Amino acid sequence: MSEIERAHVVVDARDNVTTLLDEGIDLCRLQGGLKVAPGIAFGHKAALRAIAEGEAVIKYGVAIGRATRAIGQGDHVHVHNCV
Amino acid sequence: MPSVKAITFTCITASEVRVSGLPIHFSGFARSDGRVGVRNYLVVLSSVALVNRWAELVASAVPEARVVAGEFMRGLRSPDALRQERASEALVTHPNVGACLVLCHDAASARLWRKYLADCGRPHAVLALMDQAGMEAAVGAGRQILSRLDDVRRTVERVPCPIGALTLALECGGSDPTSALVANPAIGLVVDALIGAGGGAIVSETVEFVGAEEPVRDRCPSAQLAARLLGAIAAAEERMEEDGERYRGVNPTAENIEAGLTTLIEKSMGAVAKTGSRPFAGLLQFGETPATPGLYLMDTPFFSPCSITGMVAAGAQITMFGLGVFNPSGNPLAPTIKVCGNPMTAARWRDAIDVDLSEVLAQRLSLDQAAQRLGESLVETAAGRETQAERWREGQFIVPKTLTPL
Repeated sequence: MSEIERAHVVVDARDNVTTLLDEGIDLCRLQGGLKVAPGIAFGHKAALRAIAEGEAVIKYGVAIGRATRAIGQGDHVHVHNCV
Repeated sequence: MPSVKAITFTCITASEVRVSGLPIHFSGFARSDGRVGVRNYLVVLSSVALVNRWAELVASAVPEARVVAGEFMRGLRSPDALRQERASEALVTHPNVGACLVLCHDAASARLWRKYLADCGRPHAVLALMDQAGMEAAVGAGRQILSRLDDVRRTVERVPCPIGALTLALECGGSDPTSALVANPAIGLVVDALIGAGGGAIVSETVEFVGAEEPVRDRCPSAQLAARLLGAIAAAEERMEEDGERYRGVNPTAENIEAGLTTLIEKSMGAVAKTGSRPFAGLLQFGETPATPGLYLMDTPFFSPCSITGMVAAGAQITMFGLGVFNPSGNPLAPTIKVCGNPMTAARWRDAIDVDLSEVLAQRLSLDQAAQRLGESLVETAAGRETQAERWREGQFIVPKTLTPL
């Protein structure tokens, strides 16, 4: 396992979020090279690409919620910006 | 967009993977009604909350005795009264019960219980508190009878029973994002194998299917059944919305949110994974016993001590419980197998988790190996190995009420 990149899982190819699988909250790169905001805890989600306000947040290939504000690539996606 | 080289999980839809090696038979207790128990518990039922303390005092004299006591009350209105009556009757004649002592408050209800239990096919006794002369005598009388029931119960031995006689209660609690990736899909694979062997499984907590209507519809063999299941899910969603409350923090719960689950749909997609890939066979009401083997949805509230009560009342002998963060819930009448895929939870709650599958996330264990491990644990548990929830004596009985009691 890389010591500078965070382990994560994209469950479905259609997803626009990924789930972080380690506790490397100080790191700012995902395995695969994408930038990620620091501070995202194990099990929480990061945006794989920019998600516009009102756009669907997709995990498991289904819309699990909607962005309540614009979400940047690599940002934490959770209750503060998704319902 | 740069390509994301993430860990590849196929577990959400891994329907082609099968748990091999579930044996045809396990060592269980064959009951006279044709059902099969995985335990031979000695049970003291407090039929009404007025005698809960009496039941505790009586049971404390026999270390192995288990008290079945809820907030069983008088003054319930139909259908709540009927649901409570059926649940308490079903619990005390559950296949895991080897002998039972039913404690009542008045003589009239004791007569009804004696009539009900006449053909239950196992040692039993019924006492009314009003027939006793003082608390000390009441406790003494209960203990004396309980001790005799214990002696008779111990003469019953395990015999080879078909694995297909098992019905699992499927539960997940403390759900987090690992639940959907590890514990629940592993449970789903075992469910597929058990149903393939002629067994059954019940899943409940209707509101946790909101958002997972598609996978449910796809697994209904008829449009009528799909309409019934989706109707129950829609009704649960309506109830949630009609009073205008915000349910975030209620479901998903505060611990779900802290663990990273954002919405109910996200949680539901994980919850449905524990049902495996077999078609649904029907919809059950709270505590209703399924008429045939296969996979059933039971329409229950989402609070796990309550939903487990319903599934155990329906006859489920073992609960498969998927964990993300820790949840202590169990049931005194059905061993609960706690399954966890979160490495932090598994390390912190080692003394309360039965099957640690956290190596799946580290890719040291495949999902079908995980399911294999879980299948082995199921058979060992069925044959008598004590689960952690049994060891800690976890579990409550909660029967839902829909109307204000009189």
